[in-house]
Amino acid sequence: MIYQAAIFGDVPVAEQDEIARLRRRDSAALAGVVGRYQHRLYRYLRRLVKEPAAADDLFQQTWLNVVRQLDRYDSLRSFDTWLFAIAHNAAMDLLRRRTGESLEESGHELAAAEPDALSAAMASERTAILAAEMAGLSAPYREVLTLRFEEGMKLEEIAEVTRAPLSTVKSRMQRALEILREKMTARYRKEDLI
Amino acid sequence: MTTHETIRQLLALSAAGLLDAADERRVCEHVHECAECSMALGELAAVSADLCRLPAPMAPADLLARTEARVAAELAAQAGLRHGAILAVGAGLFAWMAALTTWGLYRFLAGSAGWVAWLLLTTVPAYMAAGTVAVMFASRRRLERSSL
Repeated sequence: MIYQAAIFGDVPVAEQDEIARLRRRDSAALAGVVGRYQHRLYRYLRRLVKEPAAADDLFQQTWLNVVRQLDRYDSLRSFDTWLFAIAHNAAMDLLRRRTGESLEESGHELAAAEPDALSAAMASERTAILAAEMAGLSAPYREVLTLRFEEGMKLEEIAEVTRAPLSTVKSRMQRALEILREKMTARYRKEDLI
Repeated sequence: MTTHETIRQLLALSAAGLLDAADERRVCEHVHECAECSMALGELAAVSADLCRLPAPMAPADLLARTEARVAAELAAQAGLRHGAILAVGAGLFAWMAALTTWGLYRFLAGSAGWVAWLLLTTVPAYMAAGTVAVMFASRRRLERSSL
């Protein structure tokens, strides 16, 4: 109604012949696919693990895993969801090893960092604040939000990437949006009072 | 659970464009009559719209080149393994054929009771060679993985 998924028009889909070339380990085809997904995959990993160095490493690890698992890829399935599922697994392994990062959905989210003055000036103030609030959410919430609003995935696709039941994905989406709404509303109400 | 409570739980999914047509219609009808849900939906929709416009972190300029280099190394390692495996199978088949063809010759030279000696001379070394090759392949694969 208010928000339409139709605005996501730039979701590239690997062509069947490209998939066939990937299966033959054609290095030119692989380089093309890596280049095509570079910004989307990196953005997803940055949202999940936050640190640029960790996202950088996971990005490379994801593509190595793609090359090693290409024989297991079912070309009837979406390449996007298969690729992001591999990236999800690599990121979750890292987050589990990391201390201080919760993989649980928590009602008590971390306080968001104040956006620095430069980013607030360059981007609109509201989106800069929202980005900081989103970074304060726990990983499962950040993940469903980025897969929906930046990757344009449907609930079923998000469930496939995260290997979570559909009902869990729905409740994560609801909770994540509600938390952000409460935080943004509270912040703007407070500013109005000042 | 009242209609209001039921619809209240659907508002976030509606704002995210994730409801089916029937639920979307229910939400639409309810928010026309409920000021509280109407306001909540408006706020959720604003958050959803802003989430689509978040500044995207850009990948480092050299990430693509570094990734392509590692992928190329992995592909080369896989190709080397396949090539090695084909050679090993070919060598095994050749050894098997050689053993079969020498059987007649050995029987002629050693007599009818020489099959045990023939078996020991051909099969045991063949299994030992196959085992050695398998260990060599496994250690090479481990080395390649660790260097990536």
